[in-house]
Amino acid sequence: MPTLVEALGYPFMQRALFAGVLVGLVASLLGVFVILRRSAFFGDAIAHASLAGIAVGVVAGLPPLVVAAAVAVGIGLSLHRLERIGQLSLDTILGFILPFFMAVGVLVLSLSPGFQPELLSYLFGSILTVSWEGLAAIVAVGSLVALVLARHGRALVFSAFDADGAHAAGLPVGRLLTIHHVLLALVVVTSISVVGIVLVNALLVIPAATAKLLARSLGETFALAALLGIASVLAGLLGSHWLDAPSGPAIVVTAGMLFLAAWGYQAWQARRHRRRLRP
Amino acid sequence: MSALANVPALEVRGVTVWFEGQDRPAVEDVSFSLREAQIAVLIGPNGCGKSTVLKAILGLVPFAGDIRIGGVPAARARRQIGYVPQRLAFDPTLPLTVREAIRMPLLGVRTPESEAAVKHYVDVFGIADLLDKRLGRLSGGQLKRVLIVRAMVTGPRLLLLDEPEAGVDIGGEQTLYDLLGRLVSHHGLTALVCSHDLDIVFGHADVVLCLNRRLQCTGAPAEVLTPEALTRLYGPTTAIHRHRPGGTAR
Repeated sequence: MPTLVEALGYPFMQRALFAGVLVGLVASLLGVFVILRRSAFFGDAIAHASLAGIAVGVVAGLPPLVVAAAVAVGIGLSLHRLERIGQLSLDTILGFILPFFMAVGVLVLSLSPGFQPELLSYLFGSILTVSWEGLAAIVAVGSLVALVLARHGRALVFSAFDADGAHAAGLPVGRLLTIHHVLLALVVVTSISVVGIVLVNALLVIPAATAKLLARSLGETFALAALLGIASVLAGLLGSHWLDAPSGPAIVVTAGMLFLAAWGYQAWQARRHRRRLRP
Repeated sequence: MSALANVPALEVRGVTVWFEGQDRPAVEDVSFSLREAQIAVLIGPNGCGKSTVLKAILGLVPFAGDIRIGGVPAARARRQIGYVPQRLAFDPTLPLTVREAIRMPLLGVRTPESEAAVKHYVDVFGIADLLDKRLGRLSGGQLKRVLIVRAMVTGPRLLLLDEPEAGVDIGGEQTLYDLLGRLVSHHGLTALVCSHDLDIVFGHADVVLCLNRRLQCTGAPAEVLTPEALTRLYGPTTAIHRHRPGGTAR
């Protein structure tokens, strides 16, 4: 096995690092919005629903992630309207979307005879095989997220935190929430190449949840989530190379260990505080 | 006097809200108008439509009829409204500071005017020492003061408050309404408040609006809130105890 320094000289490793850092950054930033909206289920639902798109792509001979992106963006565009029309909560709608689209995906795949080896890479990610085209897609989505957050970030925070208050302040809440859903859908689909459908929600939720445990303000939460997202991807990727283990699960386990450390630290602080209060 | 001075601060004309699947409207043909620098209190039993009227003004529920703010249709005058909800549903473990919460409606704008407005309302409502505290660690009264400041920093002409005394102790309630009175008299603000507390109505309201799906009565509290009117509004089991100023209940 090549040493770490040698490995960093390979173009595939450089692409993987660049793609991973970008995905880690945008996913963890959008993860803070997920926590603000209390919809931690969102990433899982979109990722599993995109299996239907991947299946159609595989069977029809189309680029699977492009079809998955179309399905995910379609769901993102209609989610807020579905919430309003059906008078159902977001969680209930996501609870329908996840199994329904996943089942459709499995049924469509059953039309294609034989084993689909590339399916495993969609389920568990395969960051080391990210192509230049894949990297270009990740850069495009990252740039779009950066642009939207720079222009509408504060309005998105307000509407995710308090939709009625934002509406009362004259913000187009429906449009903002739809933008939020579409960005999340795009980030979830691009993250599939890094950690896979099964683990994609971890990149959204775990760095943001860890930051929430450690931060003293919302601004700090965004900054810490971004740092933790990048650190998890870098450490996971390099660790997986060192251990010769799959990179997607290694990234998620790294993010999870950071979360557990932050949780333990907070519990230790709370215990110390209680002890100080005892007579 | 200019023609503009005669334009009501808030005009609600024939407003009906009918929720899907309900056999009758939540509010029906409600009409009233408020002048600048008035405190109006909407009273009525639970489910009478008080919050629905506020939501119609905010455009949060579809309605038939016409609502104007300073003569402009409410849908185009949303930025003239400040809204203080009865409850703010949020994760109390969220590391959101009071400073960040009250600045949210400013969307990152930092002009000398906006900074002056934030400082002014933070001072008026005495929340300077809370600015770095987490929103989830505030008491009910503190949270209500923060929500009023948040509603005021954009300089609205109309303030809607949905049961601001909910979750606030008696002393805090009095302070809250005293501060609201100061806002209305010093800034020419118009406030429409939903409340269950008749003491508040007698102590602070310029106008009382009695609602039970339809508007039952409108006017100055002392003229309108007769025992008979309250019995009609709340039912025959309602007992009314007047308080002597500074004294005990009779």
